[in-house]
Amino acid sequence: MAKEKVARFPDPHEFKVPKELAGWEEMYPSHYIFAKERGEWEKSQFWYQDKIHDPEPMPPLDLIFHESWQISLSQYTTRVFCIPPAQGIAQRMVGCYMYICAVAPPPEEIIKEKAGYFQKRVFYVFEHYDELWEKWLNKFQKLGREMAAVKIPEELPKYVPEEQVLPAPRGYYASYELIEAFNTLVSMMFKGWQYHFEMLNLTYLAYLMFADVARKLFPGISESAIGKMVAGAYVSMFRPEEELCRLSRLAGSFPEVGKIIKSDVPVEQKIAELSKTEDGRRWLAELEKAKNPWFYVNCGSGWFYYEGSWVNKPAIPFSYMKSYVERLDKGEKIERSLEEISKKRDEIVAEYRKLIKTPEDQKSFEDAYKTVRTIYRYAEDHLFWVEHWFHTIWWDKIRDIGKLFVKYGMLKKVDDIFMFNRFEVPELIEELVTWWALGEGIPLRSRYYMDKAEKRQRILAAARKWSPIPALGIPPKEVAEPFTVMLWGITTDKVAEWLKGAAVVPEKVTEIKGFASSSGVVEGTARVLKLLEEITTLKEGDIMVCPCSNPAWAPVFTKIKAAVTDIGGLTSHAAIVSREYGLPAVTGTGVATSVIRTGDTVRVDGDRGIVIIVKRAR
Amino acid sequence: MKYTLNFEEVNKASLPMVGGKNASLGEMIRAGIRVPPGFAVTTDSYLNFIAEAGIKDKVFKILAKVDAEDVTSLDGASAEVQKLINEALIPSDIEKAIREDYGCLCDKCGVERMPVAIRSSATAEDLPTASFAGQQDTYLWIEGTDNVIRRVQQCWASLFTPRAISYRIKNSFPHEKVLISVGVQKMVNSRAAGVMFTLNPVNGDPSKVVIEGSWGLGEAVVSGSVTPDKFVVDKIVLEINERTISPKNIQCVYDPERGEVVHADVALETQTKPCMDDDEIKELVTIAKRIEEHYGCPQDIEWAIDKGLSFPENIFTVQSRPETVWSQRRKEPIIGKKSPYELLLEKALTPIKYKF
Repeated sequence: MAKEKVARFPDPHEFKVPKELAGWEEMYPSHYIFAKERGEWEKSQFWYQDKIHDPEPMPPLDLIFHESWQISLSQYTTRVFCIPPAQGIAQRMVGCYMYICAVAPPPEEIIKEKAGYFQKRVFYVFEHYDELWEKWLNKFQKLGREMAAVKIPEELPKYVPEEQVLPAPRGYYASYELIEAFNTLVSMMFKGWQYHFEMLNLTYLAYLMFADVARKLFPGISESAIGKMVAGAYVSMFRPEEELCRLSRLAGSFPEVGKIIKSDVPVEQKIAELSKTEDGRRWLAELEKAKNPWFYVNCGSGWFYYEGSWVNKPAIPFSYMKSYVERLDKGEKIERSLEEISKKRDEIVAEYRKLIKTPEDQKSFEDAYKTVRTIYRYAEDHLFWVEHWFHTIWWDKIRDIGKLFVKYGMLKKVDDIFMFNRFEVPELIEELVTWWALGEGIPLRSRYYMDKAEKRQRILAAARKWSPIPALGIPPKEVAEPFTVMLWGITTDKVAEWLKGAAVVPEKVTEIKGFASSSGVVEGTARVLKLLEEITTLKEGDIMVCPCSNPAWAPVFTKIKAAVTDIGGLTSHAAIVSREYGLPAVTGTGVATSVIRTGDTVRVDGDRGIVIIVKRAR
Repeated sequence: MKYTLNFEEVNKASLPMVGGKNASLGEMIRAGIRVPPGFAVTTDSYLNFIAEAGIKDKVFKILAKVDAEDVTSLDGASAEVQKLINEALIPSDIEKAIREDYGCLCDKCGVERMPVAIRSSATAEDLPTASFAGQQDTYLWIEGTDNVIRRVQQCWASLFTPRAISYRIKNSFPHEKVLISVGVQKMVNSRAAGVMFTLNPVNGDPSKVVIEGSWGLGEAVVSGSVTPDKFVVDKIVLEINERTISPKNIQCVYDPERGEVVHADVALETQTKPCMDDDEIKELVTIAKRIEEHYGCPQDIEWAIDKGLSFPENIFTVQSRPETVWSQRRKEPIIGKKSPYELLLEKALTPIKYKF
């Protein structure tokens, strides 16, 4: 009898990455590598590439965010809120890409045991949400301010200043300060991420609860219709854009300021010219006020050091403001009305509510809806404070340390520090401060670190050219783990498609599938954007195709006709913003940016979650 | 006494005079729904006709003797009664009223012999509690006054088909109480047509409109002679959740040579094409919602999309009646006594299906 072939992805222990990536293992901590000692367990899990948080190859120091979320997300599920059937999400690195797996459910008796804790803890948080949210925000902002206050020595002085010695020696000096500063930053990053998941898992639970009730009452209701009832405005996430609108209006009201903002000169020159007039200085003062925290919004997903934030890439917010001022000149309205968005959502909810016949059902709907709406505040707001504000503060601090390495000739560029993982940076720091402490005429091991940084840059560049395999190991017959589906958009169908798609030639594909995240059907020209910087190439009425969008991209949505992303379910940023703007969107396609080319004519069907490539660009 | 009434003059209060179908057309016109123009031949016409023509007593005497269980008796009585009705002379004032109204309709449409659909509209038919649907005849594509009048008469006769007689006897519905009105309505020259429900008839989901449609006249869908395209649309967010495009090999069309509506083959390349586009689907859903809202209960609607006119003027509602199956059922709470928390806990205790 013929042996039935089991559809599976390669065994992670035997999988070979391209030879250009040789040496990639050294870039990451050893516990991130698939290893024989726990081979049995690793083999029995299903690993898929985490395209939502790290679609790109992982710079070694940026792994810290993932190290911290692996622990935090998992512990809240297993040990804190004890979600009965769920376990943690485990991570591994393969060829510079991160693979994750939702650990298989625990034994029956553990599920029962967890239920008691779950009931008591989760429902308490649901009930006391408002006060808990206030506490959370205070706590988190305090941590961010503390991180911003961590002092990085600007130099290693030839002789320590007098006041650190007399009248009484301080006892510790720049060498220790630097060692301590990095350690403190690392601890704070871990703490920040421990806070991050405090309520996030619960928002998904609240969503599941509401979705369950909605599906019982309206058996055929789509995920996107449920999403429309739940999603509101990311209040904090839209603040950066609101601030830009406010500043643009202000600029428009001072003719001279408006003229400068609209001019085609570099930002530095604009600022220099603005500071020459009184109105200009008044405007700059307002800009300064808005900067912290609102310009700490990241230009990318918030997961990669090279994406930058508005605050350190001012050309981006200034280009937005230029177009806003121009639109104001034409008499257009630039603000989006958050109230309008909420009003529209409330109308949708009211229409569904009207269809419920009995008071009992109305009450169930009402209760579940109230809970999900209250709790969603967290899902909507935490993103700005953690992935944007907090990460930007971290990168600024790390760059201050990088500057020291450059100053003393250990590394060529400030950002080379990101080529070393968080266990290696202390080694570099130790080498530097030892060199300083030993006295004059001591050689630094600069070449070694510079070469290492260079080699790793090369590996990352090679990894960027490689299309990583979507998954490893044996796929489950059915993917039902709610976070996997909701957050990563991994469904049973998706896995089946990956299995089929291994041999697909991107140029031959004519149709791709994803989530029907925002309804409507349009046809237009595709513009593939890998990085936010590329938005300058975007034309009015283009269809944006990107790995995954984030709030810094919000102004883009006023220009485009539809959005298509590789990553993200129905509550992803692109999905929510598209619904708010009434644009069709298909998210979580997995392959859009590799299959679609700029200039292709595509038809986005946001009702069915399908993108058809109508005509290939020449 | 009115022998005919324009659809624009009738509403639900006119039901005893014009029957359910016609009253509902009038209601829809009032609600601003696009309905093909036409008029109703009232129950007074029918009553007056059987009285004046001197056949009333004969008819009910024959019917009184029918044995509903005996096919021969049913068939015999039916044939006898229908013959009486079809051969009787229509009083001249009734005939004049129909002639005038049909003339007005032709003038209005600017067509000399405007093709019309002639449908019976019984007073007991299609009521939520007594589904008499489909028990009377419908005549499509009738042109010219004499033909119209002859078909009106046939509609009256169709009140006494063997099935209708037996149905009434079995449901203890007196024959004398069932009155009939006839609707004369401009024929929509439809590219596609079909039915739609303002809830999902499969599971009772009230948030959906389910549309079934096929090429040509709606009769192909209504009679079940073709598997229609099916669209399930969320009536609130207007998303098309399901679309099933079926091979629609047959369509009902008017054959000018034969002067009648025929079943014709559909060209192979057209069979698997959707019979309507997304804008038309969404417009139908919007109409369905308006009709449901107007009546305050779920509806079963017949629609047609005209060949010649442009969107959205090409979309017509030709009939609407209350949905009877789910409307009577959904009185019990669906979720039951459990709170959302309890439901969540229940869900959380169900091990995740994570099969390998």
